[in-house]
Amino acid sequence: MYLYNDFDQTLVNERVEQFRNQTTRFLNGDLTEEQFRPLRLMNGLYIQTHAPMLRVNIPYGVLSSKQMRMFAHISTQYDKSYGHFTTRQNIQFNWPKLESVPDILADLASVQMHAIQSSGNCIRNITCDPLAGVCADELEDPRPYCEIIRQWSTLHPEFSYLPRKFKIAVSGSPKDRAATQVHDIGLHMRRDNNGNMGFEVLVGGGLGRTPIIGQTLSPFIFEKDVLSYLEAILRIYNRFGRRDNKYKARIKILVREIGLETFREQVEAEWHCIKGGELTLESKQIEHIKQRFQVLDYHTDSSDKVLTEHLSSDAKFKAWFEQNTLTHKQNGYRIAFISLKAPNQAPGDITDKQMNIVADLAEQYSFGLIRTTHDQNLALTDIKSDDLYSLWQQLQQHNLATANIGTITDMICCPGLDFCSLANASSIDIAQGITQRFTNTATEIGDISLKMSGCMNGCGHHSIGEIGILGVDKKGEQWYQLTLGGSDSHQSKLGDRLGKAIAKADVVDAIDNIVNVYKDNRHDGEVFSATLKRIGLDPYKERVYGSH
Amino acid sequence: MALIKNKQICSDGWPNLKTSATSAGRVIVSHDEWLKNKDELILSGKRLGLTLEADEKIDEFLHDIGKFSLIIINIASFADGRAYSLAKTLRFTHQFKGEIRAIGDVLPDQALYLTRVGFDALQLPDNKAAELTLQTLAGFSAFYQPN
Ligand code: SF4
Repeated sequence: MYLYNDFDQTLVNERVEQFRNQTTRFLNGDLTEEQFRPLRLMNGLYIQTHAPMLRVNIPYGVLSSKQMRMFAHISTQYDKSYGHFTTRQNIQFNWPKLESVPDILADLASVQMHAIQSSGNCIRNITCDPLAGVCADELEDPRPYCEIIRQWSTLHPEFSYLPRKFKIAVSGSPKDRAATQVHDIGLHMRRDNNGNMGFEVLVGGGLGRTPIIGQTLSPFIFEKDVLSYLEAILRIYNRFGRRDNKYKARIKILVREIGLETFREQVEAEWHCIKGGELTLESKQIEHIKQRFQVLDYHTDSSDKVLTEHLSSDAKFKAWFEQNTLTHKQNGYRIAFISLKAPNQAPGDITDKQMNIVADLAEQYSFGLIRTTHDQNLALTDIKSDDLYSLWQQLQQHNLATANIGTITDMICCPGLDFCSLANASSIDIAQGITQRFTNTATEIGDISLKMSGCMNGCGHHSIGEIGILGVDKKGEQWYQLTLGGSDSHQSKLGDRLGKAIAKADVVDAIDNIVNVYKDNRHDGEVFSATLKRIGLDPYKERVYGSH
Repeated sequence: MALIKNKQICSDGWPNLKTSATSAGRVIVSHDEWLKNKDELILSGKRLGLTLEADEKIDEFLHDIGKFSLIIINIASFADGRAYSLAKTLRFTHQFKGEIRAIGDVLPDQALYLTRVGFDALQLPDNKAAELTLQTLAGFSAFYQPN
């Protein structure tokens, strides 16, 4: 991971002091709520249904054991002994007191962390492939580039009062595991015919009320020009993005209203003025950032002997191995996912004790590094194959070995009515109902991405779930709208509406029916989306609505 | 009203817009007035100031930019970030060398960002706000963006 130097540390320390001062002034009545609002948001602090919520950045989803222990400490000391990992690879604490937030930020700064711009109308945490650096299909590790963009966007003087929030994701592999097509800007690393590194730039994607798949703004921008190109896009958006209606203020609406061509012309004209200027990245600057990342010292002599023995002797371990681990680019190593979707647990939640355990295990087996994923799980990405069995045994003792990665019980779900004041309907209890129904059959059913949001703001990404569930309000009652066939993988796609909304009590049965249609119709080895594509929506509709 | 220029509280040599836009040797005009009375204004030999709204289209006056000693940008609401891009464009893209002043809903907590995009003068409601602004301007020593 990236290690701070004195400069980075000074900046976060100064930021903590700034916020301490602002909080004091707010509590003394010298700042109005309206004036304080953007200041607290740009330090990650929301005011929610029950209490403030603090969102802390995990830059591109990589954290150290030491940082994880600090999360545990914060949740014990200032919260209710748990934290919640989000779909943008960050962590949220749901119960801190406003007065303690400056102290929490100071604690975070002591381990090279912060909550800068984790909320507010500014450039948010840069996200990337959770398997960056360890997956075999990678063109280039995107993390140093994420760090370069993180630095450029941090406390950016010009882009801190944008029309709306702004999210950037970077992918370094042909297979998009960073959902770049549903970000305000998506960057895909590419090489041109001469071997130069650069980016394809997508713009205007996003979920929420108006889900839109991003379009290619430029097929190739040289790496040296990426910051000036981003600056040109942001400047056009800042100047011309709508500010009259917050639901129409994202860049996707600007691009849609003026058209991609016009938007591109404006960006190109702006870029023409600043290209080659002070934002140009010299190769030695890029190299310098790359060198600030730890190099992992892999053992090249590992074998899979111990692993093979355990796989044949322990069926439960084998099931976990097959569902929760992946091939590593380095022979003798594997990527292990830690599911935060155990039964009776809100998706993405983790207790302070579990955080400490994960920190210890990472130190013991995985270079002291932990990843957060877009699916609200964790990953230890560098496990020697022969250590997998003992890792699994320890994970099991702490309810961290649920073998359901990628299955229907590994769902994404927003906090919903339990925590969010905007919600139309609850999501956590539905999630639990689904988990109960499918716990024993999930792996046998196969991979299905189920995503659920408590309102049309879509924080649970329902519109790109293979099965999407959206909470709607019908005369004060909680109802749920289902969609099928969404995707966030390489070809992102929005799901199609199945039919009219379904009453709360019937949602789990409806999901069961959908799964059964798939099971009844699938050909050998056929995945959920392929069956759906082949047979169409009708059989699903008939089964779900026919039975009501 | 209190004016901060180049990180100091100072007096204002320009006419007070609240009372009159003209004083001996200086005049402040709106973009429309400039377009209408351009020739006269140039002939008057006075030093010229221009007021702009944050969302104003500036293409028509850009080639005259050198004729002004002052550009005032009115920030209607502190949450409206367009003023930042406007100032940045004037200062860095079009190389405006005169004073760029922020007026309107200017908050001490935004002062540092404003000065980093090209504003060199900030108009605050009173001395108390101006004093606080000076403190906030000194709050950071490390910046990631080139300046
Ligand atoms: S989707 Fe709606 S209910 Fe869920 S967290 Fe977002 S705003 Fe709240």
